Amino acid sequence: MNRQAALSQSAALPKPRIGFGGISLILFMSLAAASWDFILSDKDSGFASFFRVETWAGAGAFLTRFLGVNGAEPPAYLRRERWADMVGPAYETLAMSLLAASMVGIGVLVTFMPAARNVAMGELSASHSFSSRILFFLIRSVYIFVRGVPELVWAMLIIFFLSPGILPGAVALGLHNFGIVGKLSAEVVENLDPRPARALRAAGASQLQMLAYAILPMALPGFLTYLLYRWEVIIRTTIVVGFVGAGGLGREFRLSMSWFQYTDVALLLAVYLFLVIFVDLCSAWMRKLAR
Amino acid sequence: MKSRFTEGRNILTLVLLAAFVWSLTTIPWGEDLIHAGGGQAFVQFVTAALTPELSPTFLQRALLASWQTLAYATASMTLAIAIGFPLGVVASGVLARRAGARLTSIYGVRLILAFLRSIHELVWAWLFVVAFGLSPMAGILALAIPYGGILGRVYAEVLQDVPQAPLHALRVAGASEWKVFLYGRFPMALPDLLSYGFYRWECSIRSAAILSFVGIPGLGYLIQVSLIDLKYSQVWTLLAFMVAIIVLVESWSNLVRRRLAA
Repeated sequence: MNRQAALSQSAALPKPRIGFGGISLILFMSLAAASWDFILSDKDSGFASFFRVETWAGAGAFLTRFLGVNGAEPPAYLRRERWADMVGPAYETLAMSLLAASMVGIGVLVTFMPAARNVAMGELSASHSFSSRILFFLIRSVYIFVRGVPELVWAMLIIFFLSPGILPGAVALGLHNFGIVGKLSAEVVENLDPRPARALRAAGASQLQMLAYAILPMALPGFLTYLLYRWEVIIRTTIVVGFVGAGGLGREFRLSMSWFQYTDVALLLAVYLFLVIFVDLCSAWMRKLAR
Repeated sequence: MKSRFTEGRNILTLVLLAAFVWSLTTIPWGEDLIHAGGGQAFVQFVTAALTPELSPTFLQRALLASWQTLAYATASMTLAIAIGFPLGVVASGVLARRAGARLTSIYGVRLILAFLRSIHELVWAWLFVVAFGLSPMAGILALAIPYGGILGRVYAEVLQDVPQAPLHALRVAGASEWKVFLYGRFPMALPDLLSYGFYRWECSIRSAAILSFVGIPGLGYLIQVSLIDLKYSQVWTLLAFMVAIIVLVESWSNLVRRRLAA
């Protein structure tokens, strides 16, 4: 009997096969080959220039000026007063990232539950309406659109309407990340254990009570974890939206680059690295609290 | 027993609220928050969504730019894997058997990976364009560096997290750490490595689009040009192309992930 079972089991073992993953890998590799072919067939691709001495001499010259070795005056990153100048932009950058993360948090908290399929389609309770279905598709489309457009493009657009400063940068960062955190949080709700919600509903709770007492507490840690992870990404991107007119380190970076003050750029990057590390540590600490 | 007020969640709520309130105070509230004429420009921009530019010549340009962006993203992904996978293997410390060697390889390489991914791809791109000259290759390299850093970190974690029992079986049978890796760890981790790679590929398309900021051709470049010319209808067409590529790749990568997880 046992041997019989073992035999039939071994017969049922799946044959090694190229599954969907394998096909996708092959497709990706052909796409990669086509891409490289497209890039390298362009004589201005810059590939050949990497094999020329002048290119590396130029890069070396840039590095010398970046680090400020044998310059006329000491490099900016060795002067205390230049570090002091960085406090303002660093503060603005941190504020921008927090403002963006707050916007994302509030926006997602308001929208993520109607954007979950199981809530909208009434899988958790018998009640669902046509309007909740419309709302579901509407919010999901907004999520897709805002996250499909990169932060920098949002910033370029928003700078047409809002005055330069922290706010346009924060709005641009907020919009893109709203789409990402919104989608992820809605998926958290979709993957929740539906039984507590159904039990509450069966015990006579209203739709709103069910969402508030069964769904929200279970979904909140997931939402917070994603939000905090995105905060780490946001702080890295603040410098980029700063390039197009939002304030902070990005604007300083752009100015120093266009004035060829490369040791200032080195100093800015050092400050930026410290900020990134600081935010990573804060976020890791808070994610531990959220669990 | 913990008191109610020192419980992690309560601290977190307070910290988040404080951060939010503080961030609100940093906005210069006032009338000049919106440009003079900013409201009008906004209305013009939004109404232009109803009349996207659909002339065949423009669509052709948008299509070419989309392919450029996709090609740059894909090419830089292959470089990112070439950087991230070997570093990830070393950073996972799975090939070193002695504790000392393992710890140095883990912490040393993780520090490098952290540095690579801390600096945004566009910052790398700008530095590379200044150092090597403006060319698509400078952009592709710039994209590959932070992506290599992220892939390396995640790959290291994935390689560490595989089930240990089959690996022990291989070791007991006398396999070296290399063979354990080749026949146990790597095949078991492959689905996760693939699905994360696909996810990153999706992100790299957005990143490739913004490389245009330093002058590299693609969708972002056209968007920038159309914005400078105030041709909002063209901007909407280009945004639609952008979102369409992202949605296509995203659905593909979702499918891959779902199939590989099953």
